[in-house]
Amino acid sequence: MKIIVAIKQVPERDAQVHIDSTSKWIEEGDMQWALNESDAYALEEALQLKEKHGGEVVVVSAGPERVGSTIREALAKGADRAIHIDCDDLNQRDALGVARLLSEAIGTESPDLTLTGLQSDDLGYGQTGVILAELLGLPHASLILHVEKTDAGLTVKRELEEGWFQTIEMPLPAVLTIQSGGNKLRYATLMGIKKAKSKEIRRVTSQELGSVAPPVVVLERISAPQKQKSTQILGGSPKEAATALVEKLKFEARVL
Amino acid sequence: MISSLPTLAEPQHFLLPEKLLFVALAAGSGLLFWRRLGPILRKILASKKDGDFRLFPLRKRAWDFFWEVLCQAKVIRQRPLPGLAHAFVFWGFCAFALVTLNHCAVGLGIGFLDPSGRFGRFYFYLAAAFAVACAAGILGLFVRRFLVRPRWLGDKLSWESGFIALLIFLLMATYLAAFFVVDTSGTARLLWWAHTITLLVFLPIIPHTKHLHLVLSPATVFLSRGGFSHIPPLVGDEDFGLVAGTDLTRLVSLQAYSCVECGRCTEHCPAANTGKLLNPKEIILGLRSYLNEHGPTSSQPLLGKYNSQEAVFQCTTCGACEFQCPVGIEHLPILIGLRRGAVNTGAWEDDHGAKLFLALERGSNALGMSSTERDKFIQKQELPYFDGSQEYCLWLGCMGGYDPKGREIVADFVRVMKYLGTSYGVLRKEKCTGDPVRRLGNDLVYQQLAESNLEAMAQAKVKKVVSICPHCVRTIQEDWKEYGTPPEIEHHSEFLAKHLGKLPTVQTQEKIVYHDPCYLGRYRDVYDEPRAVVSNAGQLVEAPRHREHSFCCGAGGGLAFLGEEKGERVSHIRADELVETGAGTIGTACPFCNTMFRDALASKGTGAPELLDIAQLTARSLPGASPSGANVR
Amino acid sequence: MSGVCVVMEERNGRIARMSWEALAAGHTLGAQLGLPVNAILPGTQTESMAAEIATKAVAKVVRLEHALLAAYTSDAFALAMEQFIRAEQPAYVVFPHTYQVRDYAPALAARFGQVLIGDVTGIGVGPVFVRQLMQGRLNGEYSHSGNGTCFISVQSGAFRADQADSAAATVEIFTPNIEQAQIRTKPGQPFRGSAQTVDLGLAQFIVSVGRGIKEAENLGIVQELATALGAELAASRPICDNGWLPIERQVGSSGQTVSPKLYLAVGISGAIQHLVGMKGSQCVVAINKDPDAPIFEIADYGIIGDLFEVVPALTEAVKSAKQ
Repeated sequence: MKIIVAIKQVPERDAQVHIDSTSKWIEEGDMQWALNESDAYALEEALQLKEKHGGEVVVVSAGPERVGSTIREALAKGADRAIHIDCDDLNQRDALGVARLLSEAIGTESPDLTLTGLQSDDLGYGQTGVILAELLGLPHASLILHVEKTDAGLTVKRELEEGWFQTIEMPLPAVLTIQSGGNKLRYATLMGIKKAKSKEIRRVTSQELGSVAPPVVVLERISAPQKQKSTQILGGSPKEAATALVEKLKFEARVL
Repeated sequence: MISSLPTLAEPQHFLLPEKLLFVALAAGSGLLFWRRLGPILRKILASKKDGDFRLFPLRKRAWDFFWEVLCQAKVIRQRPLPGLAHAFVFWGFCAFALVTLNHCAVGLGIGFLDPSGRFGRFYFYLAAAFAVACAAGILGLFVRRFLVRPRWLGDKLSWESGFIALLIFLLMATYLAAFFVVDTSGTARLLWWAHTITLLVFLPIIPHTKHLHLVLSPATVFLSRGGFSHIPPLVGDEDFGLVAGTDLTRLVSLQAYSCVECGRCTEHCPAANTGKLLNPKEIILGLRSYLNEHGPTSSQPLLGKYNSQEAVFQCTTCGACEFQCPVGIEHLPILIGLRRGAVNTGAWEDDHGAKLFLALERGSNALGMSSTERDKFIQKQELPYFDGSQEYCLWLGCMGGYDPKGREIVADFVRVMKYLGTSYGVLRKEKCTGDPVRRLGNDLVYQQLAESNLEAMAQAKVKKVVSICPHCVRTIQEDWKEYGTPPEIEHHSEFLAKHLGKLPTVQTQEKIVYHDPCYLGRYRDVYDEPRAVVSNAGQLVEAPRHREHSFCCGAGGGLAFLGEEKGERVSHIRADELVETGAGTIGTACPFCNTMFRDALASKGTGAPELLDIAQLTARSLPGASPSGANVR
Repeated sequence: MSGVCVVMEERNGRIARMSWEALAAGHTLGAQLGLPVNAILPGTQTESMAAEIATKAVAKVVRLEHALLAAYTSDAFALAMEQFIRAEQPAYVVFPHTYQVRDYAPALAARFGQVLIGDVTGIGVGPVFVRQLMQGRLNGEYSHSGNGTCFISVQSGAFRADQADSAAATVEIFTPNIEQAQIRTKPGQPFRGSAQTVDLGLAQFIVSVGRGIKEAENLGIVQELATALGAELAASRPICDNGWLPIERQVGSSGQTVSPKLYLAVGISGAIQHLVGMKGSQCVVAINKDPDAPIFEIADYGIIGDLFEVVPALTEAVKSAKQ
């Protein structure tokens, strides 16, 4: 199977974020970057499918030069080669614009399966994979935890709300967005990193891929959320605090 | 008077056939000896060269050789009675050097030591004294092995050891008996032949058994890596640690063949003592078996037939094994090397391990918490940031920065530093020193952390560091050397001990039992400083296993971050031992020990002793001190 | 024609709660812009549900009826909605941000050259749509440009469902053209990880336990508190991942969304994924030994302490109060 995995480099999960002077984005100067979490699960799913059925795993990532480190991490974990869409203006594109970029870069690859993470840790739209499927004219499924190849195509396990699940049968080629937690992630190894040095990273610029239409949805401003209400902390010994709480619940909140 | 004492009988006038027979037998014996030793030496030499081995400076090597080999210091000190018995056997052998040479010369008719001459008489009597001691020693060791049967020598009786013991006894007996016959008697000749046969039977057995240590161990002790738990750097792009035979280096092979199977390592191993698979002696013997079967050029995995991955990952790297070994085997680089081989190639599949590696791949600390938590702690405690002007950089570490108990220790230590007027600052950004991943063998993550931290420290112009965690101290001081020049670092016990004179002493009758952390004691040789601090706060009580014999708390080697352990919990065993001293307080000097004992004591319910770090013990006697932990989360 | 069109979602023959919230959002938008608010319900045999929606102050209700809409597939729903939108040309299409919507609405919007503004938590003047970035650490304000239809979806609990009823509006039927061959995926029947024993969504009192409980054996003390309160036991994701409680007791973005009168979070730090599932609770109490735990940000009452001491004390206090 030829599997393409679209991965995104995002700010490290616990990084402190500071709004920049334009109030349109965060300061990137000191930022530490990492592979988007659900993309790591998408990559893991792809690698497991390759281990089972053979084939090739190609990672695609759009972004400036710094994205290279995340691409190498993916190669170190077992991807065979990579495509780096070199562009500095990812933030100026809306989800449709990003999906268009990806679909054009993937263009000639004709993969059997394309995987993306469910959503990104920074913007969190959760749409790129679904739009990509639409642009490629392929069937898709989202919130996928498990993928199995069958003779007819794929059987996937999809997460539903409130603890329900569903299996879906679909043909190949297809696009899936992968939910976190479906597999155990593998760690990057020294051996993987050494091998990654000799793996191909094909670079293509966004200009080569065609012009971008102006975005229909624009992020005008970012701000820090307000704290909604104040919390009453009940002190004293556990016994004292417990008694005080019951009082409050009975007479103040009137829930008991 | 002296002349009336018996002299050693030396048979004279061996006939030519006898001489020829002797030469033939000796040659045969020597050949058999070499036939076994030769390949072993070749295997050792065929092994990979040790990348970072430096023969010079010779001074420490010479001293270790003198002290540990010649004086048998470690052998005696760590197991006094059997050690002394062995020492006498060894010294007997040494003393017998000339005796044996002369004995062989006599057989060829060219004996050079006259038993009735002044020197001869003196020497042979000296040798006789050693022979008595040696015979007594070997008899004692025989009784120990076959009648007392201590666990650490293994379940199976070693008949080969018994046989060797018999041979040694015979050598001494035939020598001593020769004092009671005259040169010309037939008995003297018989005794001579008996001694010779015993010798010639003994010789080829040596390289076939653990008695190979007679030949190898002096070299093994002399050629040690230097340092304690010295982890060699990986060399080149194909080196991932100890994966297959081709990765075994000369030192590792030499050490594997030197094992004398005494079991001192296993006796003190916390894993072996709590029902785990890990048995340090078997690890070394497993490598020996591997070398015997496959050799050092094989690509067969080292973890397979003779050693298991599971056992290797049960090690807390406490170092008791390496510390105990009388023949210079360095277990820790071997165990960690085996782990490297498994982790650097991705062969180790462990949920908790992967979680730890992923947390440190992407984040800053081993607990997987957001670095903003550390920032919040710094702000809450109003700790100043290091700006290059302060004397110390206070390294919080993962426990000090994120763990509630670790934070309490830091807060109390900060209180002490304030009282002393010591200037300090904390770094804006800290990443884990890499200790757990270093000991688990993940060189990729370790390198990233070490390099990142070294750069941050260099940029911040850090000169001196103080830390509450022995793991951080060790990793920063020693392990980071592989990637740069780390700043000086002290453990807070060393700092506190230095300043004890300026700190108030509130002597109480309170009994405090001090637990030596592995990474402070055996790793760093710091035993007295924390004791001085404890004595300043109460009555110091020692646990049965203390100082170099301290029993691990179970957290080291990255194990604090792995899942549930099999068998009994190491921390519980040690906690019980500390509680049984009857002390009202347990004093620790490591946040990991503190956490492990806290969990263990929690399962004891009320009546458990108080658990305090030495920083907390010190801070509570400061003027205006509030009860430990009241203001800190 | 323009107007605000709210897409309702049915689940097991009922209108799901989030749809009512989306309707409330639709009303907010409609009121701000002076636009009529319509509701659309894709599905099959949806008469009674449509009738219910018609009493909720909408201009009209459209039943998007087709046999192939009985079971959800993204192809069928996207196709049907696409046809409807081309016919009606609403200015705004408002969805509840459900798993289903996440699965087809982005593709639907793309067919119009549009982008869904998803998981909206607030609608400001403009209109400007607020959604969370960086996992809740920042808010972003989005605007829509151009004359095309604007697609948005609203976050669960961000808008309070309107209570007021009104006179019934008209109910229309729109029948899209869908062929079986156009549906490329075959969904199976939904199933549970384990047998369902409780519906937390209906519980009035919930005692929820997190990692602070340390071990499965310790759940007993929390269960006692729940029993004393007459509450259901729930948990954050790690507890269910470990198998200490069944998955249907999980509260959070990948578990249940609850809105009880009282939600007691024991040993829960309050990571965003959990908060999303319970922030609709009327009264939140948090017990945690870390005073900086994010749960305290949204709690009405908090006790900073060791849960192993506080929970038994609370159980006692509750028992004596109930006597």
